[in-house]
Formats: sequence, C-alpha cells, structure tokens
Amino acid sequence: MRFGGLTCVDKVSTVVENHELVGMIGPNGAGKTTVFNMITGVYDPTEGDIVFNGESIVPYKPYEVSAKGISRTFQNIRLFKSLSVKDNVRVSFIKNIKSKYFSSILQLGKFSREEKEIDKRIDELLEMFDLLHEKDEYASSLPYGDQRKLEIVRALATSPKLLLLDEPAAGMNPTEKVDLMNLIKKIKELFDISILLIEHDMKVVMGVCERIFVLEYGKKIADGKPEEIRNDEKVIQAYLGDTHHI
Amino acid sequence: MQVKSKLLFLSSLILIFVINLFAGSIDPYFYTVIIYIGINIILATSLNLINGYTGQFSLGHAGFMAIGGYLSIALSTYFAPFFQNTFGTGVFGEAITFIIVLLAGGTAAALVGLLVGVPSLRLKGDYLAITTLGFAEIIRVVIQNMDVIGASQGFRGVYIYNNGVKAPQMVQDLGEMSNIFYAVPKFTNFFWTFLFVAIIIYYVHNLINSTYGRGFLSVKDDEIAAESMGINTTKFKVSAFVSGAFFAGIAGVLYGHFNLYLNPEDFNFLKSVEIVVMVILGGMGSMIGVIIAAVLLTILPEFLRSVSEYRMIIYALLLIIMMLTRPQGLFGFKIKRKKL
Repeated sequence: MRFGGLTCVDKVSTVVENHELVGMIGPNGAGKTTVFNMITGVYDPTEGDIVFNGESIVPYKPYEVSAKGISRTFQNIRLFKSLSVKDNVRVSFIKNIKSKYFSSILQLGKFSREEKEIDKRIDELLEMFDLLHEKDEYASSLPYGDQRKLEIVRALATSPKLLLLDEPAAGMNPTEKVDLMNLIKKIKELFDISILLIEHDMKVVMGVCERIFVLEYGKKIADGKPEEIRNDEKVIQAYLGDTHHI
Repeated sequence: MQVKSKLLFLSSLILIFVINLFAGSIDPYFYTVIIYIGINIILATSLNLINGYTGQFSLGHAGFMAIGGYLSIALSTYFAPFFQNTFGTGVFGEAITFIIVLLAGGTAAALVGLLVGVPSLRLKGDYLAITTLGFAEIIRVVIQNMDVIGASQGFRGVYIYNNGVKAPQMVQDLGEMSNIFYAVPKFTNFFWTFLFVAIIIYYVHNLINSTYGRGFLSVKDDEIAAESMGINTTKFKVSAFVSGAFFAGIAGVLYGHFNLYLNPEDFNFLKSVEIVVMVILGGMGSMIGVIIAAVLLTILPEFLRSVSEYRMIIYALLLIIMMLTRPQGLFGFKIKRKKL
C-alpha cells in the first residue's frame, strides 16, 4: 500500500485460519490500521491481493466486504452518536433485512414480524455484553468502556465470519483489559468466528492470541506462536530498541 | 404501534375529506394561507428527509418544485382537450386528470433528482450545497428561456387554434383564426393539499422509524462506520434525494394548480433558502419542529406585509438568534450527556 511516494504497508502476508484468534502488534505507525483499512475496502491496495474464503476482496467496497462476512471496530470510536444504543446495533441488521424502502413505509408483508425479530436479537446481543440496561441511551452518553463494547456488539450484529478488532482494549485499565480479552475468547467460541485484533499491551496479546504477527515500518518482522514472538530478536529490537544505540 | 400509525393516517384522511366539504365557507384569504401552509409543509418535510435525516445539505429544492410545477401545468393546459374528452369535466374526471398530472410532476422531479443526485452526492457539505444550488439556477434559467411555457413572462395557459397551433401567447398572424384559451385549471384544493401533507408525514415517519430507515440516520452520523456495517451509503443518499425531489415536485404541482400562474422567479434562490430556513429553524431531523416552522414561516410574512422588503433580513436575524440560543432548532433534540 502506497500513499504517493510513501510505502505504508510493504509486502505483508499472513493467513488467518478458520476459528483462529490472531493478534497483530507493532509500534505506532507500523501500518496495522492501514492493513485493516485495506481488508475492509476503505483503501484499495496498490499492489498485492487480499483473499477471503477463496475470493479476492480487493475490488469490493466496504459495504460489499461487510456483506461477504468481514466486520470491524474502529480505533477511534465511530459510533452513531445521535442514535440510541439499540439503534446503533439495529443499523447492522439492515444489510440482511427483507423489508427495504417501500415495504418499510407501507409496513407490508413480514415487516412487523421482522422488526420484532430484530428487536429480540438486539436485546440478546446487548444482554450478552451487559449493555441492556443502557439500550435507550444515546451512544455518545455511554462511558468509554461501554462505547468500546458497543462497537464490538455492532460489528457482531452484522453476523461476520471474520471480526477485525482495532485496539479494543485501548484506554482500559488492566482488570478491564483481562475481562475484555476473556469476553473476546468467549465471542470466538460462541459465534464460531475468526478474529484478528490489534493490541498494544503485550501481556494481553500474549495471553489471549493463538498466533501473533508483528509489523514494523510496514514490514512483517515476525509471525508465530506467542512464545516464539516473546523471544524473537527482531521483535525485542522493535519494541525496546537496539542495544548498540543506547 | 404500527396498527396505530395506520389508523391515525386513515382517520386523518377522513378528517381532511370532511373539512374539505366546508372549505367553501372559509374566507378566501385564510383559505389561500392554509393551502400555502400545506404546500410549505410538504416542501419542508421532504427537504428534512435529505438535509435533516440523511445529512446531505441540498440547496436546490426550488428547482425540483419548478420542474413539477411547470411540467404539470403544461400537461393540464396543452392536453386539456385530451383530458376533457377522455375523462370528462365532472368532479371525478378532474380528479383522475389531477392524479395523472400530480404523478407526472412528481416523477419528473424524481427522475431529475436521480440524474443530479448520482454524481453530486459524491460531494459533501458545502460542495453539495453549491452544486444543488447551481442546478436549481440552471432549471430556472432554462425555464426563463423556454417559449412553450411562457419564458420569463410566466405561464398561465395555452391558446389552441383550429389548425392545431398551440401557444402560450396570442399568435398575431393567426389572430383571425378562432382559438380557445385553456387556462391552468384550479385543481388544487384543501383535500388534495392536505392529502399529500398526510402522505408525506406518514411516509417519512414510517421510513425513519423502521430498521431500514435508521440507515439514513447512520449515514448522517458517520459514513465510514455505516459503510463498514454493510450500509450502501450512496444508495441511501440517492434514495433520500430522489424521494425528497418527488415530493418537491408534488408541491410544485399543487402550487401551480392553485396559483394558476407560474413565473420562473417563484423558484429562485430565495425560495430554496426559505425551505432550508424552515428545516433549520424547526430542527434538522425533527418532524414536528419542521412542520411548526413551516406553519410559522408561512404565517409570519402575512403579518409583515407592511415591511415585506425586509423579510429576508428578518429570516437572517431569526437564524442568527437560533444559532446562538438553540443550535439544535426549535424542537430539535439535543444529545444529552450523562454526567459521570
């Protein structure tokens, strides 16, 4: 991925298997979020390919990528601020509903039944994340941690096969982080999905991820099991610096 | 809830029909003001769907109104003999004729809305406002130069000569030949106007409160997030724009068949601004607020007749005061922040 003359992400290749929980780490500006933006179609990679379920998803727009079964959260929270918590989740159901424009206005066919069904599923999801008591609040009035959780709920509501989490634990304290990571593990089992997550906190990543790959300056410098990464020379250098220069 | 809104809609239709029976006894001056209120509610509510709910700042609503208005009165005058022969001149025949011209006016505006919307909705904010404004001005200037619909002199009807010549003004060379003048028929009344007021309120209310309609609000809040959640934002923006244009066209048809005379100057920049002011004053995305603002801003000029030259200054002042005191509009909601 190049922006003008700047090569931002260079020849990064990895594979996320079915039901795998993979962590992506790297120092600031390594290109982690750019990788997410390329996967979800926000940016089109200038070279290379992204394959999902055996199909290249490079030519697709973000909403088409979402239809293929990839959903994401954002590093800087991007909730729908003027919508209630419930409606934030509701938006994710739109891509799968049958009552489109005119049947919603005339309330034709299965409209009422479908609305009720969606209401029920929203409640179930919010319950699971302990957000149900706040369902009628504006999303922007939630405490920070709950906003992060709501982003995950919203992404899950699109019923993805691959979930991309961009720093889901940012700004949380250590206990909250551990809770969240357990939750993420639970989600993976419950919804039967693969997860790719970006996280800075090494302890957290090492604890939860089955595999980790490390980016630095847009290049992949390591890829492997948490124990391997922990002892990898290059990774230690990237995070702690080169001993010679100190 | 859904049964309730259908019932409310049907009962309001009956109410409108009943009131219409007594419309004859209303003072003509008040009657005119009431019709204008209805037309302005249709315009403001349809623009609210675009500006308020979907967050796309359009400044070209008068253009769509002009298309609907001019096309429909051209139809109902140039084709007056055809309509009269086919459907008769009874109440029923006129109703059918009016429905046809209403749909034609609305559809034409919607089609133009589609043509304008697809390329211009790629722009955002000020750029979109400028593009739509430019489009409305183009429409007005084109009409100003179209002789078949009266050009800059305005359009009030058509002379149809024996030999088939049709023209909006007397043709001197054919002066000897007998002609019939077909004026714009006065189809618009309380019933038709408020029928469409009820329809658009029902339409926008049901749309916005459905799961599908929440997509419009999500586009307004955060396009990137909406797109990532599987919302085709372009489709949502264009469909809001097109249906807004449709109802603006309808409002134009109602206006034309009430005023019985259209002038390109009726649809100038100030008309677009007036509708935008209604939406902003009422509160972007607040149905009740926008309706009340439409009513107030239709009545207000009536009280300000003596100082009518200063109308726009008063609007501007109103807006400034609004921005300072209630930026969310008269009835707009404010995002409440929970105290931590």
